[in-house]
Amino acid sequence: MVTQPVFDEWKGKSLDGILEVCRDLVESPEYPTVARWRAAGGKVVGHFQVYFPEEIAHAAGALPVKVRGARLEAINAESRFGSYLCSILKTSLELALSGKLELDMFVSHPICDAARNLAAIWGRNFDYSCQILYLPQNPNSKSSAQYLRDEYERLMGDVEAVTGTKVTEDALRHSLEVFNENRRLIRELYALRHAEPWKIPVDEAYTLVALAGMVPREEHNELMRTVLPMLRDRPVRKQDRIRVVFEGGFCEQPPLDLLTTIARSCHVVDDDLLIGLRYLVEDVPVAGDPLRDLAESYLEHSSYSPVQHDLRKPKEKMLLERIRNARGEAVILTAAKMCEPGLEDQVGYSQALDEADIPYFVGEFQETMSGYEQFELQLETFVENILFFA
Amino acid sequence: MKLTAGIDVGSTYAKAVVLDGNGEVKGTAIQKTGFRLTEISTQVFHEALEDAGVTRDDVSYVVATGFGRYQCEVRDTQVTDLTSAARGSRVLYPGTRTVLDIGGQTMKASRLDDPGRVRSFRLNDKCAAGTGAFLEKTARYMGFSTEEIGPLAATSKGAVPISGVCAVFAESEVINHLSQGAAPADIMQGGMISLVERCMQLLKRVRMEPEYTLIGGILRFPSMVTELRENLGEVNVAEGAMVQFVSAVGAASLAHYRLDKLEEVGVAG
Repeated sequence: MVTQPVFDEWKGKSLDGILEVCRDLVESPEYPTVARWRAAGGKVVGHFQVYFPEEIAHAAGALPVKVRGARLEAINAESRFGSYLCSILKTSLELALSGKLELDMFVSHPICDAARNLAAIWGRNFDYSCQILYLPQNPNSKSSAQYLRDEYERLMGDVEAVTGTKVTEDALRHSLEVFNENRRLIRELYALRHAEPWKIPVDEAYTLVALAGMVPREEHNELMRTVLPMLRDRPVRKQDRIRVVFEGGFCEQPPLDLLTTIARSCHVVDDDLLIGLRYLVEDVPVAGDPLRDLAESYLEHSSYSPVQHDLRKPKEKMLLERIRNARGEAVILTAAKMCEPGLEDQVGYSQALDEADIPYFVGEFQETMSGYEQFELQLETFVENILFFA
Repeated sequence: MKLTAGIDVGSTYAKAVVLDGNGEVKGTAIQKTGFRLTEISTQVFHEALEDAGVTRDDVSYVVATGFGRYQCEVRDTQVTDLTSAARGSRVLYPGTRTVLDIGGQTMKASRLDDPGRVRSFRLNDKCAAGTGAFLEKTARYMGFSTEEIGPLAATSKGAVPISGVCAVFAESEVINHLSQGAAPADIMQGGMISLVERCMQLLKRVRMEPEYTLIGGILRFPSMVTELRENLGEVNVAEGAMVQFVSAVGAASLAHYRLDKLEEVGVAG
């Protein structure tokens, strides 16, 4: 069990100073916090997008790390994948092949045709355990909760084998409490964005949330508890911008510079960026069978994404609800290049937005893109049409 | 009467305009942009306030435009150069359908629809070719200042053909012409003709249609306007220094629109 902090560079700094060191860390493909954790003798469970029950790895004393690609050239990984596949698969494997991200276990979930082979390809390159978490294909079935609970238990056995720590129910409940607090703090961050979005632009909000996937949750909770009051008291001038919802960041992540570009002309009041870290929308109960409670939360109290197919949560309806809750005026509807689930859902989203008479901007991004001028000019034109010609 | 301001932080000059609700310009200011964009945008704003004889509190809404628009801290919002140029052209010349904006480092052609939205636009390549910087450098190679470009070209007896518009390669071409005895005025005029050819290419690509409104600092030079008139026929060009303030006027006019809209829905201020 690692007890010393792996990320304390932010302590004692001003808000701007904190945000700067956080951004440096999030943009670093070197994962220094993970390296520190391993150097202190800790085990690391890397989990690919979108959702993973991190509480299980936490309860076993491991550091759960969200594997979300990186802005680097996939020199080694290119040879493992077809050129027609999305970037995040390649750069995620590249992180491991290049030795920048060292893991003790890797888990993925078959979210799409491309990603369903990821664990197998990963496993051919490393000796450590590479597992697939099979989240229920049909969440509407009465057996789904029991099935998922058993699947979590199976996965927990694999994690225990890696860490050498038997997970007790009490340990799991403690992890649920730690993560419940984290969920509450992130919800507070989003509530602030709904109420006063000029105080926390989308790139800064993203930075703060992304850190949850690369530092121990206890440390992230401490950071969030410190930063939230500072953000609320931030002396920034309110500018006149439209309120938009960003959709399309559930798996591959847009570059932070692209989010900064968007923040220059829009108040992004809600989004699906890194939705897996915020997938459970309520606290998980801590009184019952923790694995069952975790499974029930995934099935009954969760967000939505193009890779979960739940008839009770039509995605178009969920998007409209997200817009309504955040008082959004428009939508930035994006998909990562070559992302089939994202592109497929754009069709339904566009239709629903047309019917609801909500303006939307359709764009495409890639995590490794570097020129934003075209995107920005098109977005600004879209914004100006709303501001001055609506 | 409510006042608004438009601040155009261009690549060469920063301009500010204070506008009243009747579309009357109450104050203006212009300064070289330099490299401290935040400071210069604040400075021209305050100078325009002073010129108008009003204070910061008298101005209800500020729109920034130009390449340095995001560095303007006093803004309420910002718009692209295309939108502000379109609006400014329509304010001054309501029949405008095509706008040609020749700035210090960019050249933009845009075609407008009935409400004044930009329907089609083209920008110059990512270099100073075909912009004010090209003329400035050509003048400088011959020992003349920017202010002398207009009077110099006006004395031309016959233009010397300049084959390109690259501000870097212009030096060797200018030196070549000078060594062969060409008059600086004729070289300057040749540079302007070369620039107009470039303008026409851009205008064709946006499917130009009359009325044409020409804006930007280069239009201060009468020879430039004459050359464009020969190619386009009748054109609108704002009088005197106002030709440089069209985008700032557009930004200030958009500010009035936005202010009215916000008051309509009860969220102004």
